[in-house]
Amino acid sequence: MAPRRGGDGGNAGGELPKRLKTDGAILQTIKDFAEATARAGIRGEKRSLSDLALEESCREVAELGSGEVKEEIEKLVLSVTKSILQGQGLAYTVPSRTSANQLYVEELDRIVLKDKTSIRPFASSSTVKKTAITTRILELVHQLCSKQIHVTKRDLFYTDVKLFTEQAQSDTVLDDVSCMLGCTRTSLNVVASEKGVVVGRLVFVEDGDRIDCTKMGVGGKAIPPNIDKIQDMESDALFILLVEKDAAFMRLAEDRFYNRFPCVIVTAKGQPDVATRLFLRKMKMELRLPVLGLVDSDPYGLKILSVYMSGSKNMSYDSASLTTPDIKWLGVRPSDLDKYRIPQQCRLPMSELDVKTGRDLLEEDFIKKDPRWYQELELMVKNKEKAEIQALSSFGFQYLSEVYLPMKLQERDWI
Amino acid sequence: MDSKKVKATKTQDPALKQKSPAEFFSENKNIAGFDNPGKSLYTTVRELVENALDSAESIAELPTIEVTIEEISKSKFNAMIGLVDHERVDAELYDDYENEKAREKRLAKEAREQERQAKAIAAGKKVTVPKAGKGRGDTVFYKVSCKDNGKGMPHDDIPNMLGRVLSGTKYGLKQTRGKFGLGAKMALIWSKMSTGLPIEISSAMKGQKFISFCRLDIDIHKNIPNVHVLEKKPNTTGWHGAEIHVTIEGNWTTYRSKVISYMRQMAVITPYAQFLFRYRAGTPEKNVSVQFVRRTDVMPPAPPETKYHPSAVDLLLIKRLIAEKSKQTLIQYLQQDFVSINKSYAERLIGEMGPDFTPKMLVKDLTDQQLVRIHQLFRQAKFDDPDGDCLSPAGEYNLRLGITKELHPDMVATCQGNVQVFEGHPFIVEAAVSLGGKSVKPGLNIFRFANRIPLLFEQGGDVITRTATKRISWSAYKISHLQDKVGVFVSIVSTKIPFKGTGKEYIGDDITEIASGVKSAIQQCCIQLKAKLVRQKAARDKLERKKNLSRYIPDVSRAIYGVLASIANEREAKRQKYEPDSREILHKVADKEVTEVTLSRKLTQYVDQVDAELALDYATQSGLVKAREPISLAGVDWTQANYLELHSPVCVMKLLS
Repeated sequence: MAPRRGGDGGNAGGELPKRLKTDGAILQTIKDFAEATARAGIRGEKRSLSDLALEESCREVAELGSGEVKEEIEKLVLSVTKSILQGQGLAYTVPSRTSANQLYVEELDRIVLKDKTSIRPFASSSTVKKTAITTRILELVHQLCSKQIHVTKRDLFYTDVKLFTEQAQSDTVLDDVSCMLGCTRTSLNVVASEKGVVVGRLVFVEDGDRIDCTKMGVGGKAIPPNIDKIQDMESDALFILLVEKDAAFMRLAEDRFYNRFPCVIVTAKGQPDVATRLFLRKMKMELRLPVLGLVDSDPYGLKILSVYMSGSKNMSYDSASLTTPDIKWLGVRPSDLDKYRIPQQCRLPMSELDVKTGRDLLEEDFIKKDPRWYQELELMVKNKEKAEIQALSSFGFQYLSEVYLPMKLQERDWI
Repeated sequence: MDSKKVKATKTQDPALKQKSPAEFFSENKNIAGFDNPGKSLYTTVRELVENALDSAESIAELPTIEVTIEEISKSKFNAMIGLVDHERVDAELYDDYENEKAREKRLAKEAREQERQAKAIAAGKKVTVPKAGKGRGDTVFYKVSCKDNGKGMPHDDIPNMLGRVLSGTKYGLKQTRGKFGLGAKMALIWSKMSTGLPIEISSAMKGQKFISFCRLDIDIHKNIPNVHVLEKKPNTTGWHGAEIHVTIEGNWTTYRSKVISYMRQMAVITPYAQFLFRYRAGTPEKNVSVQFVRRTDVMPPAPPETKYHPSAVDLLLIKRLIAEKSKQTLIQYLQQDFVSINKSYAERLIGEMGPDFTPKMLVKDLTDQQLVRIHQLFRQAKFDDPDGDCLSPAGEYNLRLGITKELHPDMVATCQGNVQVFEGHPFIVEAAVSLGGKSVKPGLNIFRFANRIPLLFEQGGDVITRTATKRISWSAYKISHLQDKVGVFVSIVSTKIPFKGTGKEYIGDDITEIASGVKSAIQQCCIQLKAKLVRQKAARDKLERKKNLSRYIPDVSRAIYGVLASIANEREAKRQKYEPDSREILHKVADKEVTEVTLSRKLTQYVDQVDAELALDYATQSGLVKAREPISLAGVDWTQANYLELHSPVCVMKLLS
């Protein structure tokens, strides 16, 4: 493909487009990087919680088959029945998922759940409803596992709206149940509705169908909620580009960016859902590709990266299968604003809340561990300026795919 | 500067015109709260009421105040001023004259309106007949009367006390109700401006055999009273106090609610006063009569006069204080004219002033430069804070009573903060938070008081409003500030309230000392309420616990039985993996010995048992609670009856029969 440098982005972009080398030269740079990453991946052996001699004991869940989940539920229900028949009512022991019970493990670069639990008795006005919901969810999951079918969280909520009253309630209890049974949420046969999209140099088999992600048009392929149905991933891509926003994803897909620089482009349209995180991890593990993150230059962009990398506090019990280590922060970084001369009118002042979020993030372990990330965030909080990926459109709609990203790749400008 | 003067002398009267204080206020009447006729009516009422309260309190008499506003129609007004009613001859001369086009327009509009109403009636809706608006020419006049049982005025001083603006210079400092020290005088100027009618005063001092009657108006340019009548009438009833009648232009329709809420809030902060408010309209159905009864006879002491704090004076004030006393030495001056300076401190200060100052020098001999030096030192030196003895807060007791009697809330908590200081002036913040009550709207209802008078206007920028709406996390105290009927009452008293804005209607939010004082006072109230609310909730929970728990029994037993039934239906061999007692349960399920009903019955028994245990716990913790009834004790007239007195070294108890 002939390099189409300049275009409508050339004039406004100033000097930068002229400094771009040929695509071939850039490709070579990325190839070196991709090979280095693959080699490092082979050397860096997989470590798990049990390998580390941590002072605090932690709780982790495992992927269980339907039969195993069913058996766990039956054991639990039988013990509860026994307690009821003995006239002692019922109570569940639920692992606590509050932030006080979370631990960031630097060696693993992700959040894990500590082993604190709380008792959820039926005989208290404050917990009786949750106890009832927990029982009902157990029954429903038991049904799902017996019939070996999958439903969405929304489906689950609608089976007993009167008891659950709102979906947040059934969703929370569902996570509690995963923790109680010691299995991943996917093992409960409950999935979230699909949100993530993938496009680019990737071929895989989903439930028997061969899917070629280069032939998915502009919209891309929706990431399926059941990750276990995806097999045989193949790719000739050199890297995975993780995009925060739907708009930027569409731009890249329409410009067929993945044909110019072989890559796989993924977005979860904002905060990533479980399926997208599972999918990204699977790609990274099986294809051994470097992952580059393209997010907004604001505290929330960083938070999204952190969820991909270290996991969310809500799902920390399953961080082992949800996190993708070693994501490089490609852009848009606070220092890019001046480096790429993004005009003032495209930068937004950070609100008080933004600045506070930024300051809080500075205290987070995943930022502190890399001084370069820390510096960038410090710069953002100091300048109190944020910018979205779309700010790059001020130089022309295709500036992102034709100048900004190639330049970034050429300069190996990621941290 | 000079050229300007020359110009002025050329074009104008060469004699420099002097403006009297009365003139100044008549031209800037908005700063005294006389922006428009409606506001003027309101301000007139409040000035009269506040004067009356001050007067009664100054002789430690429980105030009884009657306020009457009487509407005066135009023809009646004309009759009063001796003007004959004129019929309009040349109709086109008037602003509200309707020409041909306008009439067509109006008729068309009326026809449409009638059609709409007919439709509405046909649809069975209620119809409100639009009122005919008043034309511009129809100014309305009101006669405002206020009668109190206060000190009254000495016969000969009446003209000067009312007919001269800023007649006396106040020496010293005092917590006062009035905002400008204008009192009724401004109302007098307004009456002169709007109606030209004189005011009438009746007054009697305690034990005086006659009632002074005076009719006067004010010569605004000369700032002197213009007395029409000053005579003595017999005082047969032994009344003392003052009664003032003033006729002004006003607007009752727009300021009705303000006047009434002013009276009501005044009754809250002054529960030891009796107020009777009446409005007499042209038509009897529009009459209003509200009585705010006295609820207590405990009156806060009248605030005493105090001296200035060195950090609160400016250069001019220093000079003025010196001018009053000519024979004083410097050390006497420092010691006697200021608080927080004792003899040794005064000596230290004089030593610090420099070599040309001595303790024995006379203050009148001080040069201007030396005065500046004293002022500078006052600014820089460290002084003890003034104490709050000169302040007279309403008191938690009175605040609570006032709120209870006017709002009838379910709960009240009060708090009086410590004396704090801002720019050399001590201040005290008192707060009360009430929950529930009649005619209280859901959400935050904020009542602001400064030196024991209600503030009704410009509440948006006020420190109290902002603190209550922005800086109190109500939910932390189990209060929902959007749904609960919350009353927030904050009263600030000080020798100088730092008002903001021309109308002196609010206290700015930029003073940290006051903002934090207000916040902590409100928080203290909330803490008290929270304890009560938590207790109340526990009691309610106790009642509802069983109902709450029982509600979920069917859900739980159905769900559990669902799982059990599905396991029991599976093949026998599969059950081997379970424990023996689990297998037994499954057998029973298969044999229908254990069903959903069994589970539900067991759970019901369990809930009954738990409930009984917890109820016992609750009873042992809180003790038996009997139903309480609120009672009010009437004031006792100690002078009338004989009671058995029990004497002890510390007190005397009187036994009521």
